[in-house]
Amino acid sequence: MRDWQPFLGLYLWVWLFLFPGAFAFYCLFYRNSARRILLPIWRILDRVYQISGVIAAGFLVMILVLIVGQMTTRWSNVVFPGGTELAGYMMACTSFFALAYTLNHGAHIRVSVFLNMNAFLRFWLDAFAMLIAAIIATYFARYAVKTNFMSEILNDRTQGLDKVPEWLLTFVTMFGTWPWDWSELWAQSGSEMVFTPIWLPQIAMSIGTVLLAIAVWDNLFRLLINQKTSIKSETVE
Amino acid sequence: MTEIYAILVFLFVLFLLLGSSVWVGLALMGVAWVGMEMFTNRPAGDAMITTIWTGASSWTLTALPLFIWMGEILFRTRLSQDLFRGLAPWMRFLPGGLLHTNIAGCTIFAAVSGSSAATLNMVGKMSIPELRSRGYPEHMIIGTLAGAATLGLMIPPSLTLIVYGVTINESITKLFMAGVFPGLVLAGLFMSYIIFWHFFTKGERPEPEPSMPFGKMMAESLFLLPVMGLVFVVIGSMYLGYATATEAAAVGVVGALVLSAGQRSLTWETFSKSLMGATRTSAMIALILMGAAFLSLSMGFTGLPRAMAELIESYNLSPIGLIAVLTIFYLILGMFMDGLSSVVLTMAIVEPMIRQAGIDVIWFGIFLVVVIETAQVTPPIGFNLFVLQGMTNHEIGYIAKTAIPMVGLMLLMVVILVVFPELATWLPDNIRQRN
Repeated sequence: MRDWQPFLGLYLWVWLFLFPGAFAFYCLFYRNSARRILLPIWRILDRVYQISGVIAAGFLVMILVLIVGQMTTRWSNVVFPGGTELAGYMMACTSFFALAYTLNHGAHIRVSVFLNMNAFLRFWLDAFAMLIAAIIATYFARYAVKTNFMSEILNDRTQGLDKVPEWLLTFVTMFGTWPWDWSELWAQSGSEMVFTPIWLPQIAMSIGTVLLAIAVWDNLFRLLINQKTSIKSETVE
Repeated sequence: MTEIYAILVFLFVLFLLLGSSVWVGLALMGVAWVGMEMFTNRPAGDAMITTIWTGASSWTLTALPLFIWMGEILFRTRLSQDLFRGLAPWMRFLPGGLLHTNIAGCTIFAAVSGSSAATLNMVGKMSIPELRSRGYPEHMIIGTLAGAATLGLMIPPSLTLIVYGVTINESITKLFMAGVFPGLVLAGLFMSYIIFWHFFTKGERPEPEPSMPFGKMMAESLFLLPVMGLVFVVIGSMYLGYATATEAAAVGVVGALVLSAGQRSLTWETFSKSLMGATRTSAMIALILMGAAFLSLSMGFTGLPRAMAELIESYNLSPIGLIAVLTIFYLILGMFMDGLSSVVLTMAIVEPMIRQAGIDVIWFGIFLVVVIETAQVTPPIGFNLFVLQGMTNHEIGYIAKTAIPMVGLMLLMVVILVVFPELATWLPDNIRQRN
């Protein structure tokens, strides 16, 4: 399986599935020491989930602005090419960025009949479900990132008429290169508009799915350490 | 034989994952992955992401978060309370009295929000205390509310219909239009039930309301105007062809913001709460849709939907027979999962079947919504029952019992839809529209 080829000497699936899984067992048996390790990380992660939720909300506002803008330009007979594609990208950004945030607020739907039966099931079934969910989410994230890189390598462009300024692409690319290559990068970049490469909006998918995977593992660890779920659902008042 | 084997594997893994309370969207992905790995030799992961990306970045889907947001704004500001206040005085004249506010309130609120939980919450919070203090019997208050709130799913804008439309690639505007008359007929059925109750059980009837001077009544009715105006603009712009479903939703959000600002109930807190609430709900639906997209792809590769369609064809079921079978199927499914999930989960299989049988897909969407509505008030998993339980502290069994007459009425509605399919198809066929 080439998709799982070794990374730093170990198969990728060892990194992605075995290590977090093993750490879950560590959390179960050495709760106090695991809590000490994770506490500073939790403080950062909580902030990250919250921020990603706010970013998602920002994209939702942008969808609104874009669509209202599109309607007004249509009435004034100005053509605004690629608006539908742009709205689609923003929709994807909203959905993906909000995944982890939604999970932590208990808004993702699950069938909880068996979960609510007794205390034993509430803990162990929840842990089992989180483990399965974490594996699926990690798989999802791994291929989202791979697809993102493939789109960049194949230089996959939009099928619509939407364009983005080239400096934006260069700016984003900067973070994937070494600082000493940046001057060359900017020298090659022009200032005209180019058809949107798919990898640009797909970054939202990569970040969002990776965050979701982290959030599910994180919730599993928290469940095992604290002996109770840290997902607080806001019941409709 | 491979087909039966495949069905068994799909069903087993599905029930295993859903039953062990894995989140629905991720469970669907898991089932799809097992199917891909077992029955095809395609690279599962790459196909998965391609499908999911195409689905998640589609323009049609943008109507979803906007309609959710609009409902959230109305729900969290004072607009919806005003709506109720203006409605109540008019219901006094009907036999059955203020119980009708449950139905009428749900009908109108359904027209601004897309979900039945929001409708139920909004109307219930205002009507339950009012009705209790006036001595209406508890079982009628709870029962009618549980039934009428399901109208939120049917009367446009309806999230279930958006999801259905996205899943089968049909015009959402058409689906919305198709939902109007069946929704009104269903509301009419609920109201006539209250009238029947009024005449047949005299003992429980509370004192009639003291009459209100006409001038005051008109003054109270003024509260109806803002929200009614908004509903009119949103639905009208869609049906008259000025705007697509997404644009109408955007108009709705802007309108709701302007109205609540004019009323001074739009604070930074209500704004951010409504926005974050909408973000969460739409991400929840998006994850389920992602899982469902991958599952239909996986099922498509196994050839299962085609095989099922052929199987149904070989039984020579009449369309009526097929509808009867599907009704029972969705009722059972709806007992265990929520409406959205059961739509997305089954469409890959059911869509070829109904197209094969020559059933109109727009009509089928409405049929599906009625059946899913029914499932929302049947135990053990009925979303409306859960919400009502949270609101009233009654046992879920008691709430389910009070809702039994409503379940009967909704099943009657299914029959009506089958006998008069024009109820759903006439409006979308006769109004010009743009896509």
